[in-house]
Amino acid sequence: MRKLLVVLTAVLLLTGQLLAQRSITGKVVDEKGDPIPNASVSIKGTTSGVVTNEQGNFTLTLTPNAKTLVISSVNMGTEEVAVGSQNVINVTLKLEDRALQEVVVTGYGSQKKANVTGSIASIKAADIENRPFTSIDKGIQGMVAGLQSVAGSGQPGSSQAILIRGISSINAGTGPLWVIDGIPVNSGDASRLQTTANLLSTLNPNDVESITVLKDAASQSIYGSRAANGVIVVTTKKGKAGKTVFRFDTEVGSNSTAYKNDKYRPLNSAEYFQLTQEGMVNAGYTAAQQTTTLNGLGYNGGNFSDFSWLDAVERSGAQQQYNISAQGGNDKTTFFLSGGHFYQQGTSINSQLRRTNANVRVQHKLDEKLSFNMNVNGGFANQRAPLNGGAFGNPILSSYFLLPSRPAYNADGSYNFSNLGGLHNVIALSEIDKRFLRQSSLRGTLSGEYKILPNLKFRSSYGADYNVLEEDQYNNPTHGDGAASNGRAFAYYTRYYNWVWTNTLDFDQALNRSGDLMLNAQVGYESQKSNAYFISVQSQDFPPNFNLTMPAVGSRPTTSSATISEYSFLSQFASATLNYQNRFILSGTFRRDGSSRFGANNKYGNFGSVGLAWNIEKEAFMENVDFISQLKLRSSYGINGNANIGNYDWLTLYGYGANYNQLPGSAPSNVGDSSLTWELNKPWNVGVDVSFLKGRINLTADYYIRKSEDLLLNVPLSRTSGFSSRTRNLGAMENKGIEVTINATPVRTRDFSWVVDFNFAHNTNKITSLPGGNDIADGSFIIRQGEAYRTFFLREYAGVDPANGAPLWYTGPDHAATTGTYPGAGARATLGNALPKYFGGFTNTFSYKGLTLDIQLYYNFGNYVYDSWGSYYLGSGFGATYNKVARQLDRWTAAGQTTDIPRYVYGGNNAFQSASTFYLNQGDFVRLRNLQLGYTLPKNLISKIKLTNAVVYVRGANLFTWVKDKNLPFDPEQGTTSTSNLNVFIPKTISAGINVSF
Amino acid sequence: MKTFLKYAGVAVLAISLLGSCKKSFLELNSPTNVDPGVALATEADLLIALRGAYAGLRNVDLFGRSFPIWGDIMADNSYQHTLNTNRYTLYNNFTFNTTDANALGAWTAGYSAILRANRVIAAPLPASANVDQYKGEAYAIRALIYFNLVRYFARPYTDNPSGPGVPIVLTYDPELKPGRSTVQEVYAQINDDLNKAYTMMTRYVNSSQFSKYAAKGLQAKVYLTMNDMPNAKTAALDVINNGGFTAVTAANHAGYWAGSAVTTTKLETLFEVSSDAVANLAFDALSYIYSQAGNYGDLVVNDPLYALFETTDVRRALYPMATRGGASIPTVNKYPVISGDYSDTKVLRLSEMYLIAAEASYPAEETAARDYVNYVTSRRNATAIASTGVQLYEDIITERRKELAFEGDRYLDYMRLKRDIVRGTNYPAAARNIPYSNFRRVLPIPQTELDVNPTIRPQQNAGYN
Repeated sequence: MRKLLVVLTAVLLLTGQLLAQRSITGKVVDEKGDPIPNASVSIKGTTSGVVTNEQGNFTLTLTPNAKTLVISSVNMGTEEVAVGSQNVINVTLKLEDRALQEVVVTGYGSQKKANVTGSIASIKAADIENRPFTSIDKGIQGMVAGLQSVAGSGQPGSSQAILIRGISSINAGTGPLWVIDGIPVNSGDASRLQTTANLLSTLNPNDVESITVLKDAASQSIYGSRAANGVIVVTTKKGKAGKTVFRFDTEVGSNSTAYKNDKYRPLNSAEYFQLTQEGMVNAGYTAAQQTTTLNGLGYNGGNFSDFSWLDAVERSGAQQQYNISAQGGNDKTTFFLSGGHFYQQGTSINSQLRRTNANVRVQHKLDEKLSFNMNVNGGFANQRAPLNGGAFGNPILSSYFLLPSRPAYNADGSYNFSNLGGLHNVIALSEIDKRFLRQSSLRGTLSGEYKILPNLKFRSSYGADYNVLEEDQYNNPTHGDGAASNGRAFAYYTRYYNWVWTNTLDFDQALNRSGDLMLNAQVGYESQKSNAYFISVQSQDFPPNFNLTMPAVGSRPTTSSATISEYSFLSQFASATLNYQNRFILSGTFRRDGSSRFGANNKYGNFGSVGLAWNIEKEAFMENVDFISQLKLRSSYGINGNANIGNYDWLTLYGYGANYNQLPGSAPSNVGDSSLTWELNKPWNVGVDVSFLKGRINLTADYYIRKSEDLLLNVPLSRTSGFSSRTRNLGAMENKGIEVTINATPVRTRDFSWVVDFNFAHNTNKITSLPGGNDIADGSFIIRQGEAYRTFFLREYAGVDPANGAPLWYTGPDHAATTGTYPGAGARATLGNALPKYFGGFTNTFSYKGLTLDIQLYYNFGNYVYDSWGSYYLGSGFGATYNKVARQLDRWTAAGQTTDIPRYVYGGNNAFQSASTFYLNQGDFVRLRNLQLGYTLPKNLISKIKLTNAVVYVRGANLFTWVKDKNLPFDPEQGTTSTSNLNVFIPKTISAGINVSF
Repeated sequence: MKTFLKYAGVAVLAISLLGSCKKSFLELNSPTNVDPGVALATEADLLIALRGAYAGLRNVDLFGRSFPIWGDIMADNSYQHTLNTNRYTLYNNFTFNTTDANALGAWTAGYSAILRANRVIAAPLPASANVDQYKGEAYAIRALIYFNLVRYFARPYTDNPSGPGVPIVLTYDPELKPGRSTVQEVYAQINDDLNKAYTMMTRYVNSSQFSKYAAKGLQAKVYLTMNDMPNAKTAALDVINNGGFTAVTAANHAGYWAGSAVTTTKLETLFEVSSDAVANLAFDALSYIYSQAGNYGDLVVNDPLYALFETTDVRRALYPMATRGGASIPTVNKYPVISGDYSDTKVLRLSEMYLIAAEASYPAEETAARDYVNYVTSRRNATAIASTGVQLYEDIITERRKELAFEGDRYLDYMRLKRDIVRGTNYPAAARNIPYSNFRRVLPIPQTELDVNPTIRPQQNAGYN
C-alpha cells in the first residue's frame, strides 16, 4: 500500500506540475450567437478543463505548457483555439454532424464513436419505446445491419433468437451476451413448463436509454469469454440535472394474425367427408367399413355439424401499455424513476402477457472525486402460453386436426368431451386447464467511482440479476391431458441468481508534451457466479371440482424434486487505446477467463484483440474536400471464447432418477471429456465510415470473416454405446459477410424533412471442418463439411405420377430418375438454408411541421422454411382421422391429371407424408414492421395546459407481409431453424398512443 | 512511461487482491450426478444401478410399449382402428422405413439398457451373495434385450444362423463403432449370459425382477426360437418342476389380469416390467393405447383372433365388446389400469412354459404334448385339444396365439416359423398379406446408427435402401 502511494504521488507530480499559472476567460456561443451552457473547455493533451455556465462563460486556469484549447459541446462541432498571450477567448461552435460526436457505450465504459476502432451499432431510446413488442430483443429487428432477430412464436413474452453475423456454433450457444447496466445477465428462456418464455420480457423497453451492438473483435473482446456471438450492451435511463420532467406514454390497440394463407384453410365438414370417402375407396375398404368409419368421424348419415375450430381458437387480442417516468436532480444528485404496465393478448386463445415494472436510478456526486450510482430495475410478468407442436392440448394443432364435424359445444351449450377422435376440446381446456408463468426479475447495480487523480479512476461495480419463475399447470381429471392421471397439477419454481463484481482502473495520459498522443488504459478484474435453484412438484388424482387446481389437492404426489445448477467465471482483463491526434487510433484488449464448465487443466482461456482506425478526414490533404465530413477506415482482429454449454458437460457422470418400483435407481448420464475447453471465435473485420454533405448522407460498410474453431460439438456416437452424443472440441466453421448501413436526409427544409435509414447484411456460413470429415445428421438438416450450417437435407419430391396419382421422388441429387418408393438415405440432397442470404431494414421517416410518418420495412431473402406438421393436414390421407387443409383438395383424381398433390388414400398414399422437399417452402418475405403517423401538438397550444411536449399517433406493426412462395403455410418467421411448429401466430398490431411530457 | 508501467503493475496487483477468490470458485460439481466410480462403489450402489437397468426396460420403445405392440400389430392379432391417433400406423400398414422413430427408439433404448447392465456386470466388487445376485439379474436383463433386438432387427435363427444379427457390446467404450455379429454369435452370447444368470442368482425378489427360474424360463424361449427343442423342453420343465411358481386358473384369471401391483406370490408371472404410480409412461403407456376408457384405444382385436375363443373361455372376457365408430368391436382389456399404478408388461409367464414344453414334445411325444397344452386349456375353461399329428402342432401354435395374445409374441412366432402372415380385411388392402419374403419382416437398422457408424453402414437389412 505504501508503495502504491509513492507511485500515485509520482503520477500526481507528473501530471499536475504545480507551477506558475494564469487564467483565461471567454464565452462560447452558437452560430446564432446564443450562449452554449455546459460546453467543455479543456487544454489539449490534458484532462484539465471546465464547463461553461448558463451564460456560456468560462474561466480556466492555464497550465504552463498549454498551447491549445479544445472547446466542444453535445451536438456541436469541436473547435481548437491556439492560446496566445490573450486573456479572453470567445468561441463560436457550429451545429455539427451528429454522427461524429456520438458517444457510444462500449465494453466497460463509453467512447466517442469517432474514436472507436471496432464495428458497433447503436439504437436510441426513441426507436424502441412504446412499441407493441414484449421485449427489447423483439424490438430491434431490422435496426442493425447483421443482427438477425427472429421470432419463433407469436406468444406474448416468447423468446427471440438473435444471431449477430451469422451462426457461429453448432451445439454451444449462438445468442449474444446481454450486458445490462454493466451486468452480463442470464438471458433467454428459463422456463420449464411453458413452451416459450423470455427473461428479457420483464425489462420494459421504455426504461432503456440506449442499446449498443458490439459486432467485431475490437469491441467485443473485452468480454472475451462470452463474446463469441456478439455483445448487446443495454443502458437504462438516467436522470438529468435540472427541472424535474414527468413523462407519460400510453398505447392501446389490438393484435390479430399477421400472415394467413388461404391454401391452408382447414376444410369444412362436407369437404373433409368427401375426401375421406374417396380415400377409403382408394384404400380398398368395403362399403360397410366406409359407413362405419364415416359415422365414427361424425358424418351422422349426412346430418353433420360444421364447426370451425380455427375461428374459435383465433381471436383479436388486446394490446395496452402505460408508462410514466420522472427525472431530474441537481448538479450533485440526479434521479430517474419510472413505472410501466404492459398487456398483450396473443392472436389465439390462452395466450397473453401482463407486465408491471418499475425502475429507479440515483446518481450522486459526493465531490469531484467520488461518485455513486445505484439502479434497480424490477419487472413482473404474468404469462399464459398454450402448448405447441404436436401436443393435443395445443389449440393451434387442434385448429387443424380437429374435425369440423366434432363441435366444441353440445346442442345444450355444454362442452363436448366425447367423440373427439382422441383429440382434446381445446376451447373447453382453455377455460378449465391452467398454464401460467409468473416471472419476476430484479436487475440492479451498485457502483462507485473514485478519481484517484484527474486521469486515474477506480471503479467498483456490483451487479446482480435475480430471476424467479413460478410456473403452474393444471390438467383437469375429466378431459384432456389430465384424464390419464385423473387430473394432474404441476408447480415449478425456478430461481436464477447471478452476480458480477467488476473492479476497474481507468487511466488517461498524454504520452508526449503536445498532447498529440493520448493513451487510455484500463485494467480490471471480474468474478461472476450464477446459481439456479429448481423445485418441481407434480401430483395426480384430483377431485372433479375444476376450481381446485393446485398440486396440494392431488392425492398422489408423483414428482417432488429440487436441485441446483451453478456456473462461475473469473476474469482479468486489460485494454488500451492509443490516439494520435484523433487521426490514428490503435486499440488492444486482453482478457484471461476461467470457467467452471471445463476440467481442471482447461479452465482458463486467453482472449484478446487489436484494432486500428484512421480518421482520414483529419489529414491535411482532406482539408479542402468539403463534401466529406468523415472518412474513417478501421480494422480489427481478435479471439473470443464460447463456453455456452451445459454446466457439467465435461464430467463423466452417473445420474439418479432411473427408479424402479419407487426405489432409487441410477444410470450412466454423461460421457464427458476431461479435456473439454473453450470454443474459439476469431473475428476479423474491416470497415469504413463515410459522411458526406455535412452528415446528410452517412454510410458505414463492413466486411468480416469470423472463424469458429475447436467447436464445442456434440459428436454423435453409435447408439450401441448407450449414448447418442458426446461434447468434444472438434470442428470449425466460418462466417463471412458484408454489412452496409446508410442514413440519408434527402430533403431537409424548415418544415419538411425526409430521412432514410437502410441496412443490409449478407452472410455466408461454411462448416470448414468436422471430425473425420463425417456428416452429422441433424433432423431435416445436414451438418456437412463444406456446407453451411442449417442446410436442409431432404429427399426431393418429384411430383405426382399422372398415370396413377402416386407420389414420386428423385432417386438422387442428380435428378436422373424418379421412384414411386420413398427413396433411401442416399437420395437426400442439400437444398438451401434455414438462414437468410440477405436481410435488413429500410425505414423512411417524413416530417412535416408537427406530423411524422414512419415507415419501416424488414426484409429477408434466400432462406427456406420447413412445415414440420404438414404430413398430417396435407399428407394425402396420412393421419386420415384428422382434418385437412384446402390445398389437399388439389389431389390427383383422374389419370392424366397434373397436380403436385397425390391421390388421397385413407391412411396414407405410399410414404408421401414422409419428410421431403414437398414440405419445404421458400422463406423470402418483406414485412411492414412499423407504420406510424404521429402529430406533435404545437408548443403554444400545449404550454397553456402546462405541457412541454405532446404527441399523438397511430401505429401498425407487422401490418403487411409479402411472401414469395405462395405455398408457404405459416408465418415466414419460424425461428432460426426455420421450422414451423404450430405455435401461436405472430401478430400484427394496430394501435394508437399518446406521449406527454410536463 | 516508466512510471506508468510501475503504476500499472501495482494497480493490477491491487485489483487482483481486491477481487481475489478462492481457487475452488471455479470448481463446481453436479448436484445430482456422481462419477461412475462413486456410483458403483458398494453393494448398495450396485443394487441401485441394477434398478436403473430394470427402469431402462420400461422405455416406451422397449417393454413400455413397442415390444408388446409390435408382436401383435405386425402380425394378425391387433389392428389399428380406422379411428385412431396415428400411433403405429406404419406398422399396421407395413410401410415403415429406415427413419422410423419407434425402431430407432428400441435400438437406442435397448443399447442404453444394455450399457446399464454392462456397468453392473463390470463393477469391480468382490463376489458375495448380494453381488452375485445383482450381477446375475444384470446378465438376465442383458440377455433379454439382446433376445428382443436380434429377433426384430435380424432374420430368425431358424433361417440362417450365420446371417447378420446385431452388434454385441459388452464393455463400455463410447467411441466404439461395432458391426453386426452373426445371429449365432448373438444367441451364443444370450445363452452364455443366461447360464451365468441361472448360476449366480439365488433369490426370488418379486415378479418385476429376474430370478433364477425366470432366467431359465427366458432360456426355454430362447431355445424354442432357435428350434433347439430338447433344450427348450429341459429348460421349460426345470421352471415347471423346480421354480415354485403356480399357474393361473380359470378362477383367478380375471383377477390376475386386473391387478397391476408387483407380486411376491409367484403366481404365474416369471418376469414382468413394472410401471408404478410414479414411474410410468402416462398416456404413452401400453395400457393407454388399448384401453377404451382413455382417449386412445387405437389398437383393437382382429376378428379372426376373437373368433378363436369359445364363449366359455375365460380369456374371452379380456376382450370386451366396445363401441368405436358406431360399431361394436372386440377390444383389448389385458392391461386395464390406465392411472395410478399402471398395468405392468408381462414378459414371461408359467403358462408359456407349458406351451413350450408342449411344442418341444412334438412330434416325438404327442401325448405329453397334449398334456402340456391342455394344462393351459383346462385352466381357461377351453375345450381340451385332442388332435394328433400336424393338426396337434397347429393347435399348439394356435393355443400360443390365444394364450399369449397382446403380449408381443405372435409376430415373433411367425418369424421363427418363417410363415407368411394373412391378416384379413381389418387391415388396409395393401397390407393384408405379409409374406415371409417381405423385406419389412425385419426392422431396418436405424438410419441414425448408419450415419454415425461406418462399420454397420454397409450391413443394412436387405430391401431397405
